[in-house]
Amino acid sequence: MGAFLALGLFQGAVYGLLAVGIVLVYKAKRVFNFAQGEFGGVAAFTAYAIVVGTGLPYWAGVLGGLAAAVATGLIVERAIVRPLESSSRTIMLVALVGVALFTIAIIVLVGQPIPRVMPPLVDGGGVNILGAGILPQQLILMAVLAVLAAAMAWFFKTDLGLAVLASSQDTRAAQVVGISPIAVSRLVWGMAALLGGIAGLLYAPVGIFTPGFMTLTMLVPAFAAAVLGGMTSLPGAFIGGLAIGVVQNLGIYYLGQQLKVPGAAELGVFALLMLVLLIRPQGLLGGAN
Amino acid sequence: MATATMVLTRVKVQRRFGLALRVTAVIALLALAALPLLLGGDVWAQRISRAAIYAVIGLSINTLTGHAGQISLGHQAFVGIGAFAAAFTASRLGAPLGFGLAAAAAAGALTAAVIGLVALRVTGLYLALVTLAFGLTAETTIFNWREFTGGGAGALAPRPTLLASDHAFALLCLGVLALVLYLDWRLVSTKTGRALTALRNNERIAATLGVNTTGYKLAAFSLSGLIAGLAGGLFAHWNQIVQAMDFEFQVALVWVLMTVVGGLRSRLGVILASALFALLPLTLPNFLSSLPWQPPFLNEAVYHVLPPFIVVVMLLIVLRCFPGGFGQLLRPATRWLSTGSARTPRTGTGGRT
Repeated sequence: MGAFLALGLFQGAVYGLLAVGIVLVYKAKRVFNFAQGEFGGVAAFTAYAIVVGTGLPYWAGVLGGLAAAVATGLIVERAIVRPLESSSRTIMLVALVGVALFTIAIIVLVGQPIPRVMPPLVDGGGVNILGAGILPQQLILMAVLAVLAAAMAWFFKTDLGLAVLASSQDTRAAQVVGISPIAVSRLVWGMAALLGGIAGLLYAPVGIFTPGFMTLTMLVPAFAAAVLGGMTSLPGAFIGGLAIGVVQNLGIYYLGQQLKVPGAAELGVFALLMLVLLIRPQGLLGGAN
Repeated sequence: MATATMVLTRVKVQRRFGLALRVTAVIALLALAALPLLLGGDVWAQRISRAAIYAVIGLSINTLTGHAGQISLGHQAFVGIGAFAAAFTASRLGAPLGFGLAAAAAAGALTAAVIGLVALRVTGLYLALVTLAFGLTAETTIFNWREFTGGGAGALAPRPTLLASDHAFALLCLGVLALVLYLDWRLVSTKTGRALTALRNNERIAATLGVNTTGYKLAAFSLSGLIAGLAGGLFAHWNQIVQAMDFEFQVALVWVLMTVVGGLRSRLGVILASALFALLPLTLPNFLSSLPWQPPFLNEAVYHVLPPFIVVVMLLIVLRCFPGGFGQLLRPATRWLSTGSARTPRTGTGGRT
């Protein structure tokens, strides 16, 4: 029981990290970014190719991975998001789903659909927390999540962040006072891709990773975390991520292990998502913004 | 007076001639489409069945997304529930095929109605998320529920002797497709269709005009689920075995993209795009392995990502260049076939989805 709680908490940190990127894009562009997970996929596979494939030092892999993620983000912004700016949000969503599937297909074509093991950032055995073995990598992930959520919350208090919010509220009026919508769009997608890249780089070494590992299993819980947090709240994304992780693992513990319900983790996430949307659609920390 | 009569007669004759030409063209096209069924043997009969089933699925998504403007990223769940319901009635209860298909349609409609009840509370992007999460849950929970689906081994769905041959089954699938096409046509050209158009364009305005938005939304969900369940029932008997892995949630994403590529609200476009994506996984590997030169990164292991890859490339091209999909490209031809004039009259019912 305690072990499931701890595992859930640290699993939830990854959801939180993805949710921070999702919230950033939603706050700035009112778009559900279904490609957020694949920024992490690109970063993880690039870093793997650099570190394991060519034997370069770890920091080179991290830099290369993050650069690849940001480049992907900027390409998506230029090629997909900006031309579709005026179309409906549903079409934009379909296009972003397309981007995610496209990226996975490219990774499979280039890298073959085989499982890989990424060396962790810090070697060493697990730490025992409530009876669960938690890897140092997961502790780092949790710390990074806390720092990034706080940093993003602070970002929206700075002039630059306020400019992004202004552009989101009224693009034309923001343009009049000198805020370029194109610059804002580039900034937001670049930052989102960077956040996604960090999530992918930190999560890949936790287990075995395959093409699409960030989208196929992580994206729906991450969205549930963002919705639970209120979709526009960065502390909400942090808390939501951890909560989803815990609910998922409690689901595995109570439903999966004791009642033998298949797919208990997904069922738990779905039930929580429905509860939030039906009872408190504005989420835990969502305000009028 | 005499000249006027002559002119009128000529117009009439020209019209008659035009009509005859158009009817001939339609028949020729249908015959061309039927050619593989007649000459292609069992292989093509199977492929045609699959194409027809996909077309029914495409039309099901078209009902929901195209007509009602609601998005569903979990459509594979409705199709899968229909498929398992058909397999269950066929293999466990030993019921006849018609009963199984009815059960499949009912199961799909019921599930979709339940999701539709949620859809009344959430809108737009949140609905996409709810349906996606539902599709995921259906994949891992419902389809792995051993008593209903037989777990990983799958559920058998044997065909009755009358439909045992692939040709007979292909005719059944085409018959169901024709029925769904008729349904779609009646849906659009009646009061319901106009209500759905109003709903799609602006829900609030539709409500002020006296459209029962709640009822129509729920009806659209149920109808879409019914058609999807029916397609699932056909799929079960087409494959003769239903497994959970046939209904992974990525499949639903590809289906939505496929429908958008075909062109929302364009029956012909949706059917063509669906048929294309039904046949790609079957024909592409053979075609690629028969090529004299093969790109180095292509091999057996990656063939399964090629159809999604192609659909995405087509989607991105479609969204950038012609948002109406195949339907938009084919519009001059279809307009000539239906009215005799290739010109584009008034810009239709408008409104983005």
